Amino acid sequence: MDGSVRLDEVVMRFGDFTAIEKTSLAIGSGEFFSFLGPSGCGKTTLLNIVSGFLTPSEGQVVIGGEPMAGVPVNRRPTAMIFQNLALFPLMSVFENIEFGLEVRGVDKRRRREASERLLALVALEGSGPKRVTELSGGQKQRVAIARALAVEPRVLLLDEPLSALDLKLRQHMRAELKAIQRKTGITFIYITHDQGEALTMSDRVAVMSAGRIQQVADPMTLYREPATGFVAAFVGENNRIQGRVIDREGERVRLDGGALGELAGRASSETRLANGEAAVLFVRPEHLRPVAAGVAGPRFDTEIEAVHFEGAWIMLETRLVASGEKLRVQLGHEVSRNQADALAVGQRMAFAYDPIDAVVLPDDGSPVLDDDTGEVVESGRAKAGGAHV
Amino acid sequence: MFRQLQTRFGGPLAMAIVTLLGGWLIVMVALPQLQMIEYSLKPNLLPAQLGGPEDRLTLANYATLLANDIHRAIFFKTLWSSVLVTLLTLAVSYPLAWYLAKVATPRQAALCILLLIVPFWINEILRTYSWFIILAFRGPLNEVLMMLGLIERPIRFLNGNGGVMVGMVYAYILFMVFPVYNAIESLDDNQVRAARDLGAGTVRTHRRIVIPHAKPGIATGCIMTFMLAAGSYAVPALLGSPGSRWFTQIIYNWFFEGGNWNQGAAYAFLLLILCIGFMSLVMKIFKVGLGDIGK
Repeated sequence: MDGSVRLDEVVMRFGDFTAIEKTSLAIGSGEFFSFLGPSGCGKTTLLNIVSGFLTPSEGQVVIGGEPMAGVPVNRRPTAMIFQNLALFPLMSVFENIEFGLEVRGVDKRRRREASERLLALVALEGSGPKRVTELSGGQKQRVAIARALAVEPRVLLLDEPLSALDLKLRQHMRAELKAIQRKTGITFIYITHDQGEALTMSDRVAVMSAGRIQQVADPMTLYREPATGFVAAFVGENNRIQGRVIDREGERVRLDGGALGELAGRASSETRLANGEAAVLFVRPEHLRPVAAGVAGPRFDTEIEAVHFEGAWIMLETRLVASGEKLRVQLGHEVSRNQADALAVGQRMAFAYDPIDAVVLPDDGSPVLDDDTGEVVESGRAKAGGAHV
Repeated sequence: MFRQLQTRFGGPLAMAIVTLLGGWLIVMVALPQLQMIEYSLKPNLLPAQLGGPEDRLTLANYATLLANDIHRAIFFKTLWSSVLVTLLTLAVSYPLAWYLAKVATPRQAALCILLLIVPFWINEILRTYSWFIILAFRGPLNEVLMMLGLIERPIRFLNGNGGVMVGMVYAYILFMVFPVYNAIESLDDNQVRAARDLGAGTVRTHRRIVIPHAKPGIATGCIMTFMLAAGSYAVPALLGSPGSRWFTQIIYNWFFEGGNWNQGAAYAFLLLILCIGFMSLVMKIFKVGLGDIGK
C-alpha cells in the first residue's frame, strides 16, 4: 500500500489572491507529516487540495504514484478528520464508523466486524450502540478517527482535530494519535497552528507562512537550525537581536551589536552572509543563563521588568540596559531556590549564552509575530531591532 | 405566559393583551366553529319548522357522504390529489432549497428569493388566471411548443388534473421552499463534506445526511402544502375541468348554490377531520413530533 503524497508545483489562487505559492513537496508512505503555521497561512487550503475539496489552479497532486487530477473527493484514497469532527449526529457510533463501508457495499456482518475492531483500536469497546451526542469530547475524537480509518485510507488528513479539547486531553491524544499511526502505518498529514503538536508527533514538519513553505525538516532540526527568520520566531520562542556581520569563520559568525558590543552566533553552511551585512541573532530564552556582572565575552546586561513563575520554569521579562530593547529569559533548574526567591523587578542581571545555540540569519525583514497571538503584526524590515518573540 | 407578559409590560397592559387575545380566539374562532358544529348536526329546515319535532340532533348530514358515490369519490380524489400536489411541490422545492441554502452565493440566493416572492405580491386569483392563460388551448405555452416543433397540435392542459396540479404547485411552493431551506441551512457543511470524503455520492449524501437532518422542515412544508391543497378552492375552480372537481367545490355548492348550510358544514368538518387524521398518520410514520415542526 503506497501512501506517498507528492505535490508538483501546486499553486492555488482565489481570484486575485494567491493562497498557495508554487509548492512542490514529497511526503513518504507511512510518514507522520505536519503543516505548521499561523491561521491564514494556507495550510488548510493545502489539505483541501490533497483531499480533493479544492482543485489547484496549477500543478497536481500525486497519491501513491497516481495523479489525482479529475479524481473526485469520494474516489480518493484519503480520509479526513475535520476540525469540528463532523460526526453524523443522527446516527449511532456504529453507523458513523460503518458509513464509509456501507457506501462501498460491504455487507452488514463484515461492517460490524470492522467497526468492532476499530472501536477496540481506539479503546472504545462497547460504545457502538451509543448516539454520538452521548459521548465526551475525547470519545468523539476517537470515533472520528475510527470512522476515517474504516475506509482503509492510504493517507489520513487531520485538520487541527485536537483544537477543541482541553490541555490534558490534548496531550493524551497526541500520544494516542502517534501510536495509532505507528500501528496502522498509514501516512498522516496533520495540520496545526500548535507547534507543540507538530514537534511531538511528526516525523517531519513543514512550516508555512503566507502561502509559502518556509522550511521542511524534522522537529529537532527545525528547532535548532531554523532556515528563515519566520521559522526562528514561530517555532519555539526567540529573542531577535539585530546587528551587522563582522566576519565569519566556518559556522561561527561575529556580529557587531551596536550598543551591545560584539556578539557571536552560528550560521549553517547554507546561510549566505556577507561581511558588513545586516543580520539577526536569534537567542532562545531557555539558552540564556545568568552570569556574574563583569565576566568577559558576549553578555547581556539587563534590568528585570517582570517575573512570571510558570511552575517548571521562571520566565523573566527584561530590558537591555545598553539598547533599551526587550529580552525574554527562561530560567530552569540552573538557579537555586535562594536565587529564584531573590528575583525582583528592577533588579540588574547579566545573561550569557553559548554561541553554538544562537542562530544568525540575514535580516530578511521576516515578519514579526505578536507575543500573545502568534499573528503577524509587522512585516518588512523590523524597526530598530531589539528582541521580539 | 401571563406572568412573562406581566414582567415585561406590567399588570394592566398584560391583562389587556390577554383579554383581547382571548376575546379574539373565543368570538372569532371558537364560537363560529361551535355554531358550524351545531349546524352540521341539524337537518336543513324551513324557518317555520325550527323548534318543531323535526328540529333535533342527527348525523344524517354526515351520512350523506357515505350514501353519495360521486361525492365520496371526489372526497378521496381530493385527498389523493393533495398528496400528489404535496409530493410534486416537494420534488420541485427540495433542489431549490438545497441550491439556496448551500450552493448559491449570498447575492444569488437573495436574488432568487426575491424572484420567488415577487409573484406573490399579486392576488392568488390573478396568479391562477395567469396560469389559465398560459395553459389555455390556444395559449402561449402551446404556441411555443408548436413553434419549437415539439408537438403537432395543441394539448388540452386544462382537461383533467394537469392544470390543477401545476397551479397548486406554483401557489404553494413558498410554503414548502422556506421550511426546507431553513432546515437545510442549519446543516453543518462539514457533514456533507465528511460524507463525500467517506466515499458517498450525491444521492447517498442527500438520502443519509441532508434529508434526515431536514426532516422537520420537510414535514412542516408537507403539512402546510397538504392542508392548503386540500382546502384550496380558487385553483380547482379556475384551472380544473368538470372531471377534476375538488371537494371544496362541493362544500361551496352546498352553502351557496344548494343553500343547505347544514349539509355544507358537515362536509367541511369531514374534510377537516380527514386532513387532521391523515396528517397525524404521516407524522407518526415519519416519526416527526409537533415539537419538531415548531423548529
